[in-house]
Amino acid sequence: MTDGTPAQFFDGLTAGRHEVRVALSDDRQALQIAGDSLPEPLRWPLADLRALSDTSDASRLTLTRHMHTDDEAPRDPARLVIHDPELIAWLHRTRPGLFRRDLHKGTLPKLAKWAAGSVAAVLLMLFVILPAMADTLARIIPIEREVAFGQSVTRQMERFLGGKRVGALVCDNPEGKAALNKMLTRLTDSREMNYEISLQVFDHRMVNAFAAPGGQVVILRGLLDKARSAEEVAGVLAHELAHVENRDATRNTLRAAGSAGLLTMVLGDFTGGAAVAIIGEQVLSASYTREAEATADEFALTMLENANVDASGFARFFEELEKMEGKSAGLPGYLSTHPVTRERAARAEAFAAGQSGTRPILTPEEWKALKAICD
Amino acid sequence: MDISTPSASMPVHYTKDGSAIFKLGFKTGLLTFATLGIYRFWQKTRIRKFIWSSTSAGGDAFEYTGTGLEKFLGFLIAIVFLAVYLGVIQMVLFYLGLSMLDQPDPFDPMSTVRFLAAFYISFFAVLPFLLYALYRARRYKMARTRWRGIRFGMDKGAWGYAFRAIGYGLLTLVTLVTLGILAPLMSFKLEKYMTDRSHYGDARFQQGGKWTGLYPALKHVLIGIGLLVLAGICGALDIPALAIIAGIVGYIWIFVGFIYYQVRSFAYLTSHKVLAGGITFDAQPRTGEVIKTYIIGGLAIGILAGIAFAILGVVVGGLTAAIGSGASIGSMIGIGLLAIAGYVVVLTLVQALGLSMITQPILAHFIETITIGNPEALNAIRQRESETGVDAEGFADALDIGGAI
Repeated sequence: MTDGTPAQFFDGLTAGRHEVRVALSDDRQALQIAGDSLPEPLRWPLADLRALSDTSDASRLTLTRHMHTDDEAPRDPARLVIHDPELIAWLHRTRPGLFRRDLHKGTLPKLAKWAAGSVAAVLLMLFVILPAMADTLARIIPIEREVAFGQSVTRQMERFLGGKRVGALVCDNPEGKAALNKMLTRLTDSREMNYEISLQVFDHRMVNAFAAPGGQVVILRGLLDKARSAEEVAGVLAHELAHVENRDATRNTLRAAGSAGLLTMVLGDFTGGAAVAIIGEQVLSASYTREAEATADEFALTMLENANVDASGFARFFEELEKMEGKSAGLPGYLSTHPVTRERAARAEAFAAGQSGTRPILTPEEWKALKAICD
Repeated sequence: MDISTPSASMPVHYTKDGSAIFKLGFKTGLLTFATLGIYRFWQKTRIRKFIWSSTSAGGDAFEYTGTGLEKFLGFLIAIVFLAVYLGVIQMVLFYLGLSMLDQPDPFDPMSTVRFLAAFYISFFAVLPFLLYALYRARRYKMARTRWRGIRFGMDKGAWGYAFRAIGYGLLTLVTLVTLGILAPLMSFKLEKYMTDRSHYGDARFQQGGKWTGLYPALKHVLIGIGLLVLAGICGALDIPALAIIAGIVGYIWIFVGFIYYQVRSFAYLTSHKVLAGGITFDAQPRTGEVIKTYIIGGLAIGILAGIAFAILGVVVGGLTAAIGSGASIGSMIGIGLLAIAGYVVVLTLVQALGLSMITQPILAHFIETITIGNPEALNAIRQRESETGVDAEGFADALDIGGAI
């Protein structure tokens, strides 16, 4: 290779193209670049050679040099485009560092600094600022707005459970409703409630109950079917009343509105990102909810105590729940929104053992009427 | 615009390689999922490097010099600022939305609209940032593009862009009642704002032409709207058959009209750009070609995705049946994970197919129709300073804009 192979050279100073010839230098340590339009031949040491990666055309190789510059990568702005397949193959074979990604000095410390900063900012937002703000906002929101929002949530829920119109699922057997109200009055008599409770039963086989914002409490028929005594229902009701008084639903909705935006932003729009975001939100909300649930349990037990209702019904309900959860029992505690059921049962059991002077919350007839509220 | 010495024009080429870009897209897509999204910065970089290197003018390929690491860093920086802003703003707006709410009823559509409006009000808080990020993303792309070793670049001006975009957007919205008649004004002025701040080396680009020059491009949208108006009149006059036909034709006409507008306005705006030194451009993309690519690519991807999902369904269903009802929790979770992984693989496949069968061919068609006039003048253009201060699209990524490339 005395004359060398033809190539194009761009000097990185002007957009003009230099037709050059490239050859290996006599000491075989550098590429010799010579052309009529170049003032003098250039010498590019082999050790400094770098090539562009992820290019589409395998028949051309664009070379540059490792060099300290202000560019995004430490590279010489000059480019040498070679087409000689032999030379390209030889460079691939003998230069293992051809496609190396060099970094500017100080890149990694800078990266570490910002990574720590952004993780701290996100954690601070998710676990301190957003919950605190949600707390404050949940306290200052006008009650009638909260009630309006709660009613809308309840209706959405009714629709979600298969109701075709407002009130389609509401059970309104008069004797049943009377029994339900008696239960509510007995539980709430002993304390001043912040909200006017709107208590309903939905005709759905799911064993569940929920408290929407603004005092909207809904029990699903499945729970009444499954319960063996009125005390079990009373325990669950007391638990939901606790959520109402603590404004848990409002607070959670506000917090989720903030953190959902944050999570999607962090995860970006990659394929499967939505799945990861949902799991993330689940883990996050589980960690808040577990705390709220534990507080609500304590609140419920106090409420039962003040109303002289036997808490062993509440304990029995948890045992029932645990049996039903049998299949998903393998789920670790940090993933489930409620504290591990067995622990809750034990807590209620212990509490019930210390109770005295309890009296039934409903007469057997009233209990029967409540169970038949959807008929 | 004076073309002093008429010389042979320089063609711009795109070397299409569908299978290579598919492999690259699929491989990097899987890596992105496996790293919970972190690899996306490198994915975007590698795909851009591929596309830029496939494009050449006068035989010299373009080069993309952005790096995955700087994008990741830009993203981290954006997160620190946006985490605080977005989290707080979103919650406050949600709260305000909640306070405006009155007795919503999910069975009444108007009430649902109000309810949704209350929820999506937070979008408007992010809008200035979105526009800001849009300009920054283009500026970053320009700063990382080179041809013949010379850098492209763009001046600062993202807030000016956001401000103008909102202004023209409001104007267009106001005139929406008059059939969006001012849409070309917005397209033209915003493109001019960006072009006039763009450089190749030490030479500045300039957007020539007039905003009214975009009206011919809008004609099919206007015809479509006319047909819909006709459908409305026929409906009012109780001629249902004509109303339905005019409605359907008008709807399709508008849809095609929008593509026509995009293609033709690109052609107009490109053909009226000038680079200092009298370098001119010409672009003749064809709407039919773009629509054909969409239809054929869309159908092929739909069929392939259908087959892939069917195979996945059969495999997961078969496994579930084989294990039977007495399955242990472990094997149930195993099948569940397999199903999720399969689902993600198919989605990644679809994304890579889209890149290879729609994005690349359309891009190739646009690029192939471009020619550069007076290319001799290019030789005199000198290098510009490198730009390190750009946030490498961090805001654009965090705000989910920018798309595949």
